[in-house]
Amino acid sequence: MSSLLGRAAPQRLRRKGISDRQLALLLVAPAGLLLMAFEFYPFFVAGYDSLFVTDQITNARTWAGLDNFRAILTSPETHDAFGRSLIFVIGCLLIQAPLGLITAMALNVGLRGQTLARGLSLLPYMVPAIVTALSFRFSLNGLYGVVDYLLVSLRIVHNPIFFLDDTHIALYSVIAISSWRHAPFFTIVLLARLQTLPRDQLEAARIDGATPLRAFRHITLPWLMPVLLVAMLLRTIWCGVEFDTPYLTTYGGPLNSTTVVPLAIYNLYADQHEFGQASALALCVGALLLVGSILYLRSYRRTEASETGF
Amino acid sequence: MNLRIRLRPTRALQYLLMLGLLALNVLPLAWIAITSLKTDVEIVQYPPTILPAHVTLANFVELFTATLYGRYMLNSAFVATISTIVVVGLGMFAAYAFARFRFRLINVLGELSLFAYMVPSILLLVPLLRIMFVLQLDNNSWGLILIYSTLLLPFALWTLRSYFQGVAVELEEAAMVDGCTRFGAFLRVVVPQAVPGLIATAIFTFNASWSEFLFASTLLTSPDRLTISPGLLLLLPATGLIRWGLIMAAAIAMILPLLVLFIVGQRQLVETWGEGAVKG
Repeated sequence: MSSLLGRAAPQRLRRKGISDRQLALLLVAPAGLLLMAFEFYPFFVAGYDSLFVTDQITNARTWAGLDNFRAILTSPETHDAFGRSLIFVIGCLLIQAPLGLITAMALNVGLRGQTLARGLSLLPYMVPAIVTALSFRFSLNGLYGVVDYLLVSLRIVHNPIFFLDDTHIALYSVIAISSWRHAPFFTIVLLARLQTLPRDQLEAARIDGATPLRAFRHITLPWLMPVLLVAMLLRTIWCGVEFDTPYLTTYGGPLNSTTVVPLAIYNLYADQHEFGQASALALCVGALLLVGSILYLRSYRRTEASETGF
Repeated sequence: MNLRIRLRPTRALQYLLMLGLLALNVLPLAWIAITSLKTDVEIVQYPPTILPAHVTLANFVELFTATLYGRYMLNSAFVATISTIVVVGLGMFAAYAFARFRFRLINVLGELSLFAYMVPSILLLVPLLRIMFVLQLDNNSWGLILIYSTLLLPFALWTLRSYFQGVAVELEEAAMVDGCTRFGAFLRVVVPQAVPGLIATAIFTFNASWSEFLFASTLLTSPDRLTISPGLLLLLPATGLIRWGLIMAAAIAMILPLLVLFIVGQRQLVETWGEGAVKG
């Protein structure tokens, strides 16, 4: 795959202008500088901040060593937030992956109107978080919300459910809302993979008398698996740090019952003005993500290697 | 004949499943649109009416005459447009370098940008706001543009990189034999081939910066500079009855431009997201 134009480009092709190395650096420099300044450097700022306590009135900073980390890691609020985040991530994956898989399969069997249906099924992914949150706050409302109206009039429940105001239910409602928004990620990714499914294998299985379910289990699912796993890993990370949906639907309430870790970071910063502790918690989450990213990178390399035959 | 009869119930079930899934996706959006056309009285009445008894545009009129929402939309349009130009422009050059050159430094930067793809906004919130304060770019559209351009760049890099890898190198070589410089060959031969990827990246970037909430709500403070997401939240009163009709009208106004972009670029989006999202 490595091209003629790589390092070994013949001299006569570079008749004028600059060398490949110079060109490469020039092309990368602006993007690289932006990323260095506002994506990587901030981690050093956070590292520095996490070692200080900022006085709320005078804004004076005093050295605190690892006190911020100790405060964060021993506080019951943090533990609760991590517990909720764990439920949030597991709940999101349990809904989104199967829903996306079913949708992708249903949109790939050659029904009429399939193209239109594919477009429509991706709509939620495009809807802004604030719109999703506010519209569900409206329709899940326990007083005049349409969802409760339907549930009660279809006699599924006796009394309206307060989806977003009940401390036992709110977190699961937020999971459902977030899943509505993000399930299309799985649909998109799996649909793309299904396009390249080797048809002849399915055909052979059918001729051999395999039931559709067996064909799915032994041919389709294994084919989707590598992509499904990578997508699940990515969504695990993204759900773990999702701020918009939980914040905009419930602001972390009622009674902190939906305060997941990203909201805990936000509260430390915006409500309690504990910049040091907010930075410390963010760094701890960052460390967890780093592990996840390394796993992702590995599986990415494996996919890339198998695609290009290296 | 026999086969057809046997297949039919399955087909019917498949159609039913597809319709059910579509309803799940589309109905919440339809409900927003329907509510935006109802009067305030009708919205809070129980049992709720499914279709509006009196269709009214009063909510939209009020939105654009009595609130600053039109201003928020203009602000967002400005921020999102500039961010998109920066991301696609810089991303295009860098992604080409990542796709074609194999120098050590370039490789390292490429890997770093993959890590950047995974870095979530919430982790950067506190330090980035501090940096923007030091640069005196708080409460400033350009501060927001810098943040969006940076945070959305990694996605562009990875999508475009895989796009450029799919463009045959031979075409570039032919152009260079014909007298183009390497850069000239890139602009004249490679970029035109990557137009679908560029469109998809542009739409994704525009959508994300048009809708962004976290930084917009923390960096901007004066009402006339707000973008849509924090602006929409301002329509919720601190106390008292929520004007759902007004809010749903605002939601529709926010979605419409995105919907147009989505319809225009649907094919490119599906292809590029599907291919790019999980493997670079």
